[in-house]
Amino acid sequence: MSRAFTENINSFNVSNNIFLTPADDESKILAWLSPLEPQVRHQDICDQRVNGIGGWLLETKEFRSWYKGDENGETDHAALFCYGNPGVGKSYIWYER
Amino acid sequence: MRNKERLSLTVHHGSSLVVDYLGDQTVEQEMAVTCFYYDFASRRDQSPTNMLGSLLKQLLSGLGGIPGEIALKFQGQKKVIGGRRLHLPDVVKMLADVSSLQRTFICVDALDECAPKHRVEVLDALGEILLKSPNTRIFMTGRSHIRGVVERGLGGRATSVLIKPRDDNIVTYLRTRLRQDTTPEVMDSGLENDIMKSVPEEISES
Repeated sequence: MSRAFTENINSFNVSNNIFLTPADDESKILAWLSPLEPQVRHQDICDQRVNGIGGWLLETKEFRSWYKGDENGETDHAALFCYGNPGVGKSYIWYER
Repeated sequence: MRNKERLSLTVHHGSSLVVDYLGDQTVEQEMAVTCFYYDFASRRDQSPTNMLGSLLKQLLSGLGGIPGEIALKFQGQKKVIGGRRLHLPDVVKMLADVSSLQRTFICVDALDECAPKHRVEVLDALGEILLKSPNTRIFMTGRSHIRGVVERGLGGRATSVLIKPRDDNIVTYLRTRLRQDTTPEVMDSGLENDIMKSVPEEISES
């Protein structure tokens, strides 16, 4: 407990009530939070990806308004779900475009 | 299996594309991007706590320090013999706190590959994070059959987009056929709209 208090003296405030601690056991804390490393998987997938595929999604009304957020707040969808089924090659055709 | 591979290519590529697009925006804008890829083969390890914990880890690495509250929790659990594992409500609270520090994007790929029980828990958790952290936005991909679960789980905060083959050709074909209809009097606009909407969907899902 006393150690945590000492660390708090050196910490700085980033928002109302969250203090960042320059913890020397940062890597242990991160490992405790989760053993998973999804960034590695992301890199694998990017390596397989062909440029220019699927870019239409970024231009859709749904994606734009999800990304920007709706200032009025009333019809705001904070979550966007993209769904599809495996087809007899059709998903692949779409993917190949 | 081949179909499965094709779908995962499509959806994975869709979400990695979004992750990269968002990543590019971080150069000019103050925002954080996190991602998680579900995978059948890793179901056992991809518990809700591990999944949300990994999102939290990604956010913390961009912060340049550990929030005191999280450091305290870590110190506390070390006193228990062998250490104590993180509980789901703890990680949900931490993630909500840290994601409200800045505009945060959470991308979850292939949600259909998550165990059904875990899926419900994760969607509940994400819904709670959206409530506590209004600047957070969530992008998800998955097969059509989980659409209902996703929309229910996020209680009206989710909108869905169908990923499908380009259907411009299908629509042109249907329009032509409808114009050639020999009994147009039995066709009303509702039925026509249904056809224009459902046939391209059916075709893309067959």
